[in-house]
Amino acid sequence: MTNAENVLFIAVMVIYLITMLLYFFFVIFKKTPLAKAAGGFQAAGLLIHTAALVLRGIAAGRLPMTNQYEFATCFAWGLCLVSLIFIVKFRFPVLGAFSAPVTFLIIGYAAMQSREIHELMPALQSNWLGVHVSTAVISYGSFGVSFVLSLIYLFREKAKEGGFWDTHIPAREKLDLISYRSVCLGLLFLTLTILTGAIWAERAWGSYWSWDPKETWSLVTWLIYAVYLHLRLRRNWKGKLAAIFAVAGFVCVIFTYIGVNTFLPGVHSYK
Amino acid sequence: MAALKKIWRFLSSMQFAVILLVILAAACAGGSFIPQGLTLQEYASAYSERTASLIVALGLDDVFHCWWFIVLSVFLCGNLILCNLIRLPGLIKRTKRSGGKVILGEPTAAAEGVADPNQFFERFGITPKEEKDEDGRAVLYGDRHRAGIWGAWVCHLGVLLLILGFGLGQMTHREYTVYGVTGESLPVGDTGLVMTIDDFRVKLREDDTVSQYTAELTLTDTAKGLTESGTAEVNRPAELLGYRCYQNSTGWAAAVTVTKSGSFLQEEVLCAGEFLPVLDLPELVVLFNAFYPDYVLTDEGPATASGSIRNPGYLYSLYYLDPATEEEHMLGMNVLLSGEQITVDDYVITFSEPQNYTLIQIKKDRFTWLALLGGLIVLCGLVLALYLKPMRLSALREEDGTWTVKGECRKSAPIFREQFEKISGVTLPREQDSVLEQEKETER
Ligand code: HEM
Repeated sequence: MTNAENVLFIAVMVIYLITMLLYFFFVIFKKTPLAKAAGGFQAAGLLIHTAALVLRGIAAGRLPMTNQYEFATCFAWGLCLVSLIFIVKFRFPVLGAFSAPVTFLIIGYAAMQSREIHELMPALQSNWLGVHVSTAVISYGSFGVSFVLSLIYLFREKAKEGGFWDTHIPAREKLDLISYRSVCLGLLFLTLTILTGAIWAERAWGSYWSWDPKETWSLVTWLIYAVYLHLRLRRNWKGKLAAIFAVAGFVCVIFTYIGVNTFLPGVHSYK
Repeated sequence: MAALKKIWRFLSSMQFAVILLVILAAACAGGSFIPQGLTLQEYASAYSERTASLIVALGLDDVFHCWWFIVLSVFLCGNLILCNLIRLPGLIKRTKRSGGKVILGEPTAAAEGVADPNQFFERFGITPKEEKDEDGRAVLYGDRHRAGIWGAWVCHLGVLLLILGFGLGQMTHREYTVYGVTGESLPVGDTGLVMTIDDFRVKLREDDTVSQYTAELTLTDTAKGLTESGTAEVNRPAELLGYRCYQNSTGWAAAVTVTKSGSFLQEEVLCAGEFLPVLDLPELVVLFNAFYPDYVLTDEGPATASGSIRNPGYLYSLYYLDPATEEEHMLGMNVLLSGEQITVDDYVITFSEPQNYTLIQIKKDRFTWLALLGGLIVLCGLVLALYLKPMRLSALREEDGTWTVKGECRKSAPIFREQFEKISGVTLPREQDSVLEQEKETER
């Protein structure tokens, strides 16, 4: 890890922390300039984060997406990017108050991983790696957004009239819709991730699908979100049940990412 | 009859689809936790006897190929076929539907007393067409993203093709493994083909990590007199005689030489893990356990300090097979360094010429393209279903000269309504209807 990258990485952590606090203050005090400032910090953090990733890519001579540290920092980057897009597109700064802590947690997880740069084993030297992992980053980021929105939805449902959640958080109908839109983005990119992964596996290992734990869990995640889409099509299933599935989907995402490498051996663990 | 109809309705319903998808997801999750393909004894030592027999009885030792997993997948396919067949006529009807009456059911949003309906059409990017209704009143109408209504249908079709391609591939694919060192010709299973390893190279980086494995291969079909050569590297399989040949893995091999009373008896190249019975004393067996190119002895046992051959160490074990009892007795296990030899009575065994062997996988799956096509169709279906939001607008000129504008956009109702309100300046009532139920009403 180069010195410049290290400095940028720490700067990113600090900026994400400030972003998170600003969003909290915005939700509590309901002052729009706070939301604007938070958005500004988030965008700045994202830029610096991008620079840190580029620097690492240059130092390694490849895309910085191959080990647990690199993927974690990319994951945080993806979540930050997608949440910023959704905040701007749907004019929905409250989302920041919930996505920023998750981003901060993930970058914190990244900080705990080894940051050494290793040479790649032959199977990983493929152009498909870049496409496969970039699509996963966007997909995971989008599911992260839908996860926080669904949590807000579930809390909102329990909110007392006139209470904090009722007065500070937008209506459930809107939460549901934005959550749906982020699942759509996530599912589209997860499908791309699985497809590119399958094409790559066919070339590298001779089999496009071998029920490796990581493959299996990405399929589980895909199925859960497919169920989510169908649940939303029915009036009596829409809303709460769908939100529960969106939360479960993200738990699967996290398990696919961290749990599989930790608990289940397979080709993706590269031990 | 009524019961049969009920069952039929259930089998083609979305509820059944949801149940199937949830069970399949749960089965996949379970299959990833229980180690697959072990024997009853291995399960018994990992869990308890009872759990082990339960795992085997329920097929949990091979979840992804067991009968109930296949039955579930077949049900899913049936469910998808029914769903797509049932919905096809309605979709065709909706696609063809045109004219001023494009909005049949309850609209997503509506505004009355509008002076200029064109601003709605402009805002939603729809070019209006004009016609007169039965009463001679002017009607403006138009729609956008109509293809979006086909999204789910296309996606379901893709899933079907994907499962079909995967299933057919599983049933018909051929897969063989050969391994050996440069110069060896090896039979490929029962195919009658012969794989020759013309060359095998391991490219190391400066830090001794491997950058690429390269195998030069020739596949020969003696019966048909065909032969084809090519290079297989990791991530770049060779395509030979219609088979895909993958450079799968590698390991160490070495020549084992046996002499008896000073004269040559036999020599054979063994890959690590292979054994050699001594020619005229088959009860004596040498097992070549492992090779350390740069041998060092660490606290954890023998290891290698680098990937290059600097101080070759051969880990071997020696067995005596009792011909009467068929029991094996280990005579010894040790690491042999270069220049050292094993001596047993008149026999002297030496190891030399360490080299990498290669493991090549030879495969044929004639349905990969179908699965890939299915995957791509799923992707297209998802884009259509999730990103093309079909919307329709119609405006009717009332007798007082104002217009009544109606809009329909089931996929993104709240946002559509917000935009509608912005143009009309009137807040609409918030009803929350699901896409499917509104659509059904529209069909009626
Ligand atoms: C892995 C399997 C499946 C996938 C990936 C899948 C995917 C989808 C998608 C993406 C949509 C559109 C959702 C939206 O617009 O928000 C959809 C809708 C739908 N699906 Fe599935 N589906 C699957 C299985 C099934 C099955 C087995 C049925 C059987 C009944 C079914 C019935 C429906 C229905 C009725 C709709 C609504 C169609 C429409 O809006 O035009 N799905 N599905």
